Amino acid sequence: MKQILNIAYYEMMHILKERVLFLMIFFVPLLYASLFGLVYVSGILQHVPLGIVDLDHSKESRDVVSAFENTPDFKVIPEVTTYAALEKGMKTGLIRAGVVIPEDYSQKLSQHQLTQILTIYDGSNLIYGFNTRKYFQQVLNTFSADHTAAYLSGLGMTKHEITNVMDTVSYSMEIWYNPTLSYATFIYMGLALMIFQQIGLLGIGLTATREKERNTWIQFLSAAVSPWKIFLGKALPYYIANFFNYGLVMWVAVRFVNVKIEGSVALIVLLGLLFDIIVVSAGFVVSVYVPNSLLVTRYLMLISVPIFVSSGYSWPSTHIPKIINELVRLMPYTWMAEGFRLLTVKNLGFSYLVDKIIVLIVMAAISLFFALTFSKRRKPPAQTGLAVNGSISYPDKSCLRL
Amino acid sequence: MLKQCRAVLERELFYMWRDKSLRHILLIGPLLGLLLFAGVYSYQRIGNIPTGIVDLDNSSASRQVVEELKNSQNLQVAAYFDSFAQLKESIKRGEVIVGVVIPDNFGKNVALHRQTRVAVVIDGMNMAYATNASSAILTVTRTFGAQVGIQTLIAQGIQANQAQEAYQSIAFPEEAWFNPTLNYAYFTVLGFALNVWQQCLTLAACMTIIGENGLRSWLQIKTSGISSAVLFFCKSLVHIAVFMLIVFPLYYLAFVVFKLPLACGWLNLLSFTLIFIIALHSLGTMMSSISRNAVDASRYGMIIALPAFVISGYTWPLEAMPQWVQHAAWFLPQTWFFQGLNYLTFKNPGWGFMSHYYLALGLMAVLFYSVAALRLMVENFLPKGGLM
Repeated sequence: MKQILNIAYYEMMHILKERVLFLMIFFVPLLYASLFGLVYVSGILQHVPLGIVDLDHSKESRDVVSAFENTPDFKVIPEVTTYAALEKGMKTGLIRAGVVIPEDYSQKLSQHQLTQILTIYDGSNLIYGFNTRKYFQQVLNTFSADHTAAYLSGLGMTKHEITNVMDTVSYSMEIWYNPTLSYATFIYMGLALMIFQQIGLLGIGLTATREKERNTWIQFLSAAVSPWKIFLGKALPYYIANFFNYGLVMWVAVRFVNVKIEGSVALIVLLGLLFDIIVVSAGFVVSVYVPNSLLVTRYLMLISVPIFVSSGYSWPSTHIPKIINELVRLMPYTWMAEGFRLLTVKNLGFSYLVDKIIVLIVMAAISLFFALTFSKRRKPPAQTGLAVNGSISYPDKSCLRL
Repeated sequence: MLKQCRAVLERELFYMWRDKSLRHILLIGPLLGLLLFAGVYSYQRIGNIPTGIVDLDNSSASRQVVEELKNSQNLQVAAYFDSFAQLKESIKRGEVIVGVVIPDNFGKNVALHRQTRVAVVIDGMNMAYATNASSAILTVTRTFGAQVGIQTLIAQGIQANQAQEAYQSIAFPEEAWFNPTLNYAYFTVLGFALNVWQQCLTLAACMTIIGENGLRSWLQIKTSGISSAVLFFCKSLVHIAVFMLIVFPLYYLAFVVFKLPLACGWLNLLSFTLIFIIALHSLGTMMSSISRNAVDASRYGMIIALPAFVISGYTWPLEAMPQWVQHAAWFLPQTWFFQGLNYLTFKNPGWGFMSHYYLALGLMAVLFYSVAALRLMVENFLPKGGLM
């Protein structure tokens, strides 16, 4: 036990002395959590800039304009009054949606002929596209109902009769788990867990390479200390720091970004502890077998986007080909992110998460096994090729100091 | 001078090739990313959203509602349940995303023109599903509501044409511009692939200066008489050319093989890519100049490159971010690039609009290279306990 604590103390000293590493472990997670928090803090896309081309300029067409003016979902841009301006505005991003009311709109209404209101939205950004389409339908459903009510009133029906006709079949639509359809609740914790994974891997990923670069790793390898003690001692500070960051990121999410985090605290802690074990032990194994810190940094930095995109967290896994789904199931992040979301957004109990927890336990056991039993036989530095790829060195200004 | 330049160019190219990890990252990383993302988004649209029905009435009217749902473009009736509890459990397990509950006596109430209510529940956990499902349900409710309303009016003695006019005198056709089929692959694949590409480039660009002055050979280079300006200019030239070469197969796959939309011409796209590469390289070079070693340079570069895509507003729109975050985002070359890329590939708004993007990226390049040069000069004149 004392040996483990000694190694942990020595590692902690390294973290405290190495300014960049210290900042990366204790500051960057907060920085990224805040940054992404600021990006998604509004959560809901509102005030979509809308251009209305009213070619009719009648009382009836002004009713249409009012319907769009009176909703917070759209912000009518008054500069857009012609179809050409609408086309230009859509191209330059001045507006993201448009409504065109034809010049014979009121005339056709009065002649009891079919008329139409054209709605246009920008499909180049589908977050705009899908939300705008939904907002259009909401506004037009209301407008259409008002129009029908006015028409029936014109036929001499009473308010009560109109209500009876129109509400013969009504619909109540409820959105469960994320009732405001907040993007913050949807995406933020997925990104935060990716930050947790990346910073966790990059922190411990340098623990053995740093020793190799200082020629001190040999001391660990030749000392009468078992590999499992070296791992536990080295991993302990990172394990604690990571778990602290896990809590910190969640606090930022709930306190400042209004992300919905519900569910059993015990299960949240359990998921965090398991994921932390996987990250720390996988990072340590990488550090032991990769020759230097530069390679660790280069490779680990690049895995975040592919893992996140293919994990099924944003684009549903039901719409991802089977082979990719099978591949990403080998990644702990996939299970952690899905389990965390089911727990915190859907507020599901243990029985719904049991498969995720079992997989994470198996992954933790496998990664721990490799970390605890790493080989103490040292691979000699490569004699050929560029030093950076095979040896323990990489460009460093300190090599020029006498 | 020219001979010197040629020697540096050849040497840099040789060094880039010999750096095996960097070579793999640059040659394989972006292409692998593109293929993976094209695979992930190969379904292209969110259709067939699994829908569960609880039909407590089992009448012809309730079956008509189910038919309407079946005919909806994006919904797929995947299961029938006997009770609301079963539906709730299925939504919890993620087996169905949309639930529709048709109440008891629905058909009878419709026939007697009494009020009745259909409950629709949508799982909001995944927004890609939820926004599509909401739109589909809103369309179905409007269509079905109109059908029932017309029938009710006719039953009450209103003439058929008047009843129809009350509900259907205004049509609301919709058009999605620039991406008419609302194809997710068009929107995301190139953006994500170029995000990986810009991260790979950043890793390479971060070696520009530290890859020289962090090695012992730096002393020999300094004593050889070659000026730092010539050396780093030639190095940068090679980097920029290599970065440009790497993007060709990526664009070929994206636009020719996968047929992603390209509204502007190839020349516009390539010239815009080139100016971004220069700006990104200048940023990497600046990071390289202020770093003690190559690991720190890579960390500094990637601290910016990793979140840059999210901040750029390519997915979650810039306009939805707080005002000052929007302003801050424009200080990153990635924001100009990803915003500009979206405009060029989907809309082609013309040179008058895009010239601001070129200018901003050009100015950034000048600024970042100047800081790097200044830093290098200061370091040369004010050595800190070293030999330099």
